Amino acid sequence: MSRKGESPRDKARARRRERLARRVRNPARGPARRRDGDAKDGGEDAPEDSPEETALVEAAPVEVAKPARLLHLRWDLDKTYLRTEFDTLRDLYRTFMQKAEDKVAIAGARVLLKELMDPHDGIPRRVTFISGSPSQMRRTLTRKLQLDGIVPDVFILKPNLSNLLRGRFRALRGQVGYKLKALLHSHMAAVEVDEYLFGDDAEQDAFIYSLYADILAGRVDATAMVAILNACKVYRRDTDEIMALHGSLYASGEVVRRIFIHLEARSPLGRFRPYGGRVVPVYNYFQAAMLLLDAAVLRVGAVWEVIAAMEATGYTPARFANSLQELLRRGVLAPIAADRAIEELAAEGARRGRDVDRFTRRLRTVTADLRSQPRPPPPWETEVNYLGLYHAARFRRQRYRLLGTGIRILD
Amino acid sequence: MSTIVIDTQGSGDEGREALEAAAIASLELDHEFVVVGHEEEITAALDGIAHDAERMRVVHAESRVERGADMRATISALPRSSIAAGLDCVARTPDAAFVSGGPPGAIVYRAVRALQRIPSISRAALAAVYPTLQHRGPNDDPFALLLDVGATAQCASDHLVTFAAMGAAYAGKISAVERPRVALLSNGPDPHTAPLAVRDADRRLRAAALAFDYIGTIRGDQVMVGEADVIVTDGFTGDVLVRTLEGVAATGEELLRRAQQRYRWRLGMSMLGEGINRLREFTNWENYGGAPLLGVRHPVIITQADSGRRAFLNAIRLAAKMLRLEVIDAVTDGVAALREFESGARGLAELAEVTEVNEPAAPIQDGAEPPAIESGDQSERSQEVDST
Repeated sequence: MSRKGESPRDKARARRRERLARRVRNPARGPARRRDGDAKDGGEDAPEDSPEETALVEAAPVEVAKPARLLHLRWDLDKTYLRTEFDTLRDLYRTFMQKAEDKVAIAGARVLLKELMDPHDGIPRRVTFISGSPSQMRRTLTRKLQLDGIVPDVFILKPNLSNLLRGRFRALRGQVGYKLKALLHSHMAAVEVDEYLFGDDAEQDAFIYSLYADILAGRVDATAMVAILNACKVYRRDTDEIMALHGSLYASGEVVRRIFIHLEARSPLGRFRPYGGRVVPVYNYFQAAMLLLDAAVLRVGAVWEVIAAMEATGYTPARFANSLQELLRRGVLAPIAADRAIEELAAEGARRGRDVDRFTRRLRTVTADLRSQPRPPPPWETEVNYLGLYHAARFRRQRYRLLGTGIRILD
Repeated sequence: MSTIVIDTQGSGDEGREALEAAAIASLELDHEFVVVGHEEEITAALDGIAHDAERMRVVHAESRVERGADMRATISALPRSSIAAGLDCVARTPDAAFVSGGPPGAIVYRAVRALQRIPSISRAALAAVYPTLQHRGPNDDPFALLLDVGATAQCASDHLVTFAAMGAAYAGKISAVERPRVALLSNGPDPHTAPLAVRDADRRLRAAALAFDYIGTIRGDQVMVGEADVIVTDGFTGDVLVRTLEGVAATGEELLRRAQQRYRWRLGMSMLGEGINRLREFTNWENYGGAPLLGVRHPVIITQADSGRRAFLNAIRLAAKMLRLEVIDAVTDGVAALREFESGARGLAELAEVTEVNEPAAPIQDGAEPPAIESGDQSERSQEVDST
């Protein structure tokens, strides 16, 4: 397969790419992993892998027979699941030193994930965590998830130390190369897969998740992919690996159903509009739960659990009602679906012996406040201009850096 | 969590500035914000503005009340307007305030009907905040209060006395002044040269034991000095005075702009740059938020029609402060204490008349009126009108 003029380095790279592609095609060849994601080193490829690869190999699929149907839940950790501050060096240090017991999950996130993991409809679930936190935090973060009663199937952390030691400074901040590779690596083949992705607005989750979804859907071809990775200044080696995975997984199918972006930084919604209706920014996990109820992924009892968990952190009926109204105004939830959900919530609340009158009355009031005119949902299929979006985001970051801090109220 | 209702259709720029202010407030303040206006336009505009949707609710209103429209057109447009929808929303919510840049007359008219007046207050007053040379209170507050500036065009003495009690209660809370100094606006320190209503109000305020210091009548040129924390006048005079002060500030700004056209003057002005900027800040009405409408059961803040984001945000902050400090309760208590004293004093006077029947009654001065205690006594002599 080698061509004339190829250096030994290129040959080694080609061999590695082939090996990765083989592993993607046949997940059973991956190294043996424990179910809790705390990977043991080993397997036939392990000794040759670089530290970065090792981190990703930890994400290699568990040896399972190809299921007929699968619900794959992909979660980011910081600011999506955990309430984390890493805007300053002091925040980063504090987060790094924080004990598992001191880490706090975002209101409703733990319950929503647990309810999503419940295979009430007989469809097996799989949970993958892909986080930008350094792999040195694995023990603390695994412990935190254990405390919350969550055992992820795959738990991928960023090999920041090895990036630092190898002088790959761009990889320390950059997320596109790392997360896209991790997503493609941990993609689970099945006859029918539904993927729900959860990220936040602090980084580039909407961009990366959409790109991943479009690769699987066959909408971003190799030429476009290379241009995007080059624009994102992804290291050559990562580009090669991603392109190998792209070749294997391209046009696998329309598997990503929804991408939920938790608006931790309260970014303007318009920033996510170019990604189309698949990306749904949410202000809280009640909004996500309502949409998942509408999609029949969650049961109404699970939504009540999310509401109860959020109430325990100080959420009032007004805040829930405003959140519901916001979904209606955006058109992501149809008024008829909202009415049905309110009825179901009222019935389930009454069944649980809760006084739901005030809550459901408030929900009905805010829906009545709106103009009674149907509004179309955001278009689902959109040809996303990834290069344009990347440059726009970069320009925005630079502008804010130059102009200083303050509330970023306008785009 | 209290609620602040913001009318976005009242301002001139399609409500964009008010909406941006509401969006910032939703991120800054721990309140629920109800934004009233055309719902689809609001939703479209909010798309590009960072806000906290958990704290923001939109109420659709079909139409708006145009500024400059005659009273008949205003009243016919009111029921479906954002002003009516917003004030109805405030009336239904126990702990709520209203902020609007709509026509003051329409807001006063609707607010009095929808929210109702505080008991024992017969007329509402629009209070304008203005900067003075003397500062006041532990917070070194540079702002004094002038009321009424347009809610009640013609006032009887009872209205002026009530306004004094309301203004003092407001200043006591907002500026944290223990005993606010209150004055009546007149043409000099001698009340005998003042109109009848002012003269009678002066006599009653001097006679009463009050929770504030009544310092007598002051002239218009003393307003900006800051000798009084609260200056009371009727709505017509107050409106004229406020417009005059705004006009002077605008003229000063225009003179500065013209001066910049000449090179030597520009050079001089650049040397005075810091001082000029401070002067501009001092006279910039956007810093003062808006005018609170006192006398109704909920805080109502009216901003100028051409208010920018900053003015709206300050108006929202003022509404939040009024809710937090329970200013309406203080105003209610202040007026109730005044009424209680006056009814007690009247009872004592009647008792004295009965017991001292042999003594001759004091001569009544020419033109003097008996004090009007009940608000209904002189209602036919005054009216709440649109200042515009």
